[in-house]
Amino acid sequence: MSDPMAEIRASFFIECEELLESLQDGLQLMDDGDTDPETINIVFRAVHSIKGGAGAFGLDDLVRFAHRFETAMDEVRAGRFHPDGEAIRLFFACADILGDLVRAARDDDQVDDGITGPVLEKLDKLVGIEEEEEEDLDFTPATLSLDFGDGGGLPDLPDLPDLSALPDAAPSVEGLPSLDLPADLPALTAEPLAETTTKGFTVHFKPENALYASGNEPLYLFRALRDLGDISVTCHCGDLPNLDQLDPDTGHLSWDVTVHTEESEQSVREVFEFVDGLCVLEIKPITGAAAMIAPALAPTPAVEKAVETAAPEAAPIAPPQKPAAAIEVVSAPAPTPPAPVAKLPVASPVNSDDDTLDEAPKDEKSGSSAPVKATGTPTQPRATVRVDLERIDRLVNLVGELVINQAMLSQSVTEAGLPPNSPVSTGLEEFLQLTRDIQESVMMIRAQPIKSLFQRMGRIVRESSASVGKEVRLYTDGENTEVDKTVIERLADPLTHMIRNAVDHGLESPEKRLESGKSREGHVTLTAQHRSGRIVIEVSDDGAGINRERVKQKAIEKELIPADAQLSDSDIDNLLFLPGFSTAAEISNLSGRGVGMDVVKSSIQALGGRISITSQEGKGTTFSISLPLTLAVLDGMVVRVADETLVVPLNAILETLTLTDNDLKALGPETHVVQIRGGFVPLLDLGAELGYRQPQDSYVGGIVLLIGQEDGNRAALAVDAIEDQRQVVIKGLEGSYGRVPGIAAATILGDGQIALILDPTDLVGQASGRTRIRQPQQALVG
Amino acid sequence: MALRDQLRVMVVDDMSTSRGLITNALDSYGIRNVASAADGPSALQKLAAYPVHLVISDYNMPGMDGLQLLHALRSNGPTRGVGFLLITGRADREIIDMGKRLGMNNFLKKPFDPAGLRGAIEAIVGKL
Repeated sequence: MSDPMAEIRASFFIECEELLESLQDGLQLMDDGDTDPETINIVFRAVHSIKGGAGAFGLDDLVRFAHRFETAMDEVRAGRFHPDGEAIRLFFACADILGDLVRAARDDDQVDDGITGPVLEKLDKLVGIEEEEEEDLDFTPATLSLDFGDGGGLPDLPDLPDLSALPDAAPSVEGLPSLDLPADLPALTAEPLAETTTKGFTVHFKPENALYASGNEPLYLFRALRDLGDISVTCHCGDLPNLDQLDPDTGHLSWDVTVHTEESEQSVREVFEFVDGLCVLEIKPITGAAAMIAPALAPTPAVEKAVETAAPEAAPIAPPQKPAAAIEVVSAPAPTPPAPVAKLPVASPVNSDDDTLDEAPKDEKSGSSAPVKATGTPTQPRATVRVDLERIDRLVNLVGELVINQAMLSQSVTEAGLPPNSPVSTGLEEFLQLTRDIQESVMMIRAQPIKSLFQRMGRIVRESSASVGKEVRLYTDGENTEVDKTVIERLADPLTHMIRNAVDHGLESPEKRLESGKSREGHVTLTAQHRSGRIVIEVSDDGAGINRERVKQKAIEKELIPADAQLSDSDIDNLLFLPGFSTAAEISNLSGRGVGMDVVKSSIQALGGRISITSQEGKGTTFSISLPLTLAVLDGMVVRVADETLVVPLNAILETLTLTDNDLKALGPETHVVQIRGGFVPLLDLGAELGYRQPQDSYVGGIVLLIGQEDGNRAALAVDAIEDQRQVVIKGLEGSYGRVPGIAAATILGDGQIALILDPTDLVGQASGRTRIRQPQQALVG
Repeated sequence: MALRDQLRVMVVDDMSTSRGLITNALDSYGIRNVASAADGPSALQKLAAYPVHLVISDYNMPGMDGLQLLHALRSNGPTRGVGFLLITGRADREIIDMGKRLGMNNFLKKPFDPAGLRGAIEAIVGKL
């Protein structure tokens, strides 16, 4: 990446993805009936910017297509063409192709003309414009005469060129769109440069309550001032009332700070940029003489504090809450530039951290005698760094090791017999907290909004509905839900298949929909949300629902189930997940291309997730995917069964209880149920289910974990003892052993022992339910 | 001392790719005193702290377009005389005429190569 052009090119493609996203968003808004010129402008600008960048890199195919698209959007923007639903669908198709072209250019690939050609033809037919001719423009550049003075010292402002040399330059221009400039635009003055000769400034600073309420901290401001030069700080606490009259929500302190610096007043003001209007601020330059005297004039030593001590003392008094309603707001007497970006760390404006890529290195390299310091205001609220995913994964692994290490340490401390309130234990407690924080932060690096995936599904809906002649609209919800990057990537295929299924099999044809009193247009809804430590993604349609009779018939024909099988509705629904099952009577050209729901299910399971179906006849079908938030660590309950240590994921456990005689009810020859608050839940013996032992003689007095599943079913899992509740690092087993029923993964415990992590839902689903040994006579009968 | 060592330039474009391309090109001809801004208002704000000789601005930007920026520069005492090079994807007569009236020093149509940009700059400030 040493070649700057290669780097810019790479960042262009990243920027394109952002532009494509806003393009999709904009078109979606237009589709929803938004006719705001700014929305159309956003769409236009996205296409325009992609074209502009592509031109610079000589990506001709991309430029050619973007140009036609842009021309069409310009017609819309100019109000010469009013797009209807069909036109917007075409624009969506154009946006999709534009995305294809961008990615093809990035990967040095080609996009078939057969795809772009027809769309362009439609576009020209629809919008009906001809290629405009390049106008021959006569323009004579207006030269500037620059005078740099003697070339030594600081560059002064250039002598301004004679404006009369410019053709009719002036504010009084007719036909210019009125300028909507922010009213508080800073006055542009040449002051900063002129003032660099002063020796420093005195700053009087009295915070309003609002300053504290918005989370600002005087200490940081003083620290930022200290970065400009030597400072001396005087704190005035004369306004402090007696303790019994002290309102903890009101600030009473003010400060005088003398800064000895070569920096401009502007730099000093910038320190206070983010508290503009939240304090009384007076900044006065001091002359050479005053600078010398100023420290001597400082009040008594008792009140004078060094920065480090003054502000911390002030901090406890600083009101953390909102100020009382009736507080007079005194604005700063000297206007300072308003802060355009509010959420930056207060101390940062001095170190201009914006646009570092563009300008900072060059300033450093600058061999000229002009020491230029860019002291601009940060303009980009989100500075980003591109990091190789491998590095993050390494970090994730290391954090995993840290969690194990921390568990081992806890174990040693317990074994050493230290009391729980010993300093070591307390320290360990903090260590635990920090480990969790680190782990969460690392996971956050990997997390991305699921929006990009949802937008790709929008395209799937558009294309698949067109190919089967249905009218379908996709609704999305929760697209800002953050999901692990790997999960997003690996969800793309199963989700694509499910969406196609919904369009192809789920929704009826427009005619049928009208017959059954539904809208002509079918709806597919895609939602994502966090639910009790997992991510739940739902794909639902408002189609006819699963035709259970046909599904069952099909399964019998394919000999997947015996002809006399007694199946509940949900059993029938779940037949869809059986390998080799395909419902469409004739395989359409969309779904059913060899990939069945069984493949979807196994790819979801590979992510540690589950999939379930609910369907209502005539109302529609919902597929629900539930995924773990992270693929690396989970909170688990460590239990003991038949001398084996196992981990049960904590989020599956609703409660734990000790069984009494009254709770247990026998049901049938081999099974028990547990009565919990009026409901009955099947009792499963974990030891028996995993084949560690035979069912016990009695479960009275035994401990059970009440397991809750996504579909609302519950089961009581009998264990011998609960040992601990802790975070465990997931170590996959599937690479070595394939999929083990009832087992999700393994982990390493604090003592170095390996424990299996249960998959409770899978376990319950496959359970035999045997909690009683059959009596011989019953065995004869059965 | 060569002109390129003293010339101070502000690059205004909402696309970081374009800013990168322009600063990269400027760097290649030895212009190192370069600041940049992602939109008109922040460019005006930066110019208060960092006066420049030449502003190179994109035309199509959200909020404030290149010509509105030019208007703001020309209406403001200290920046009245700053050089202004407009970079535009579409060289419509309308845009160019408006630029002329506002005192645009030169314009450059996209896509451009480093030599083209150099030529457009030299037409304003003289040989670099």
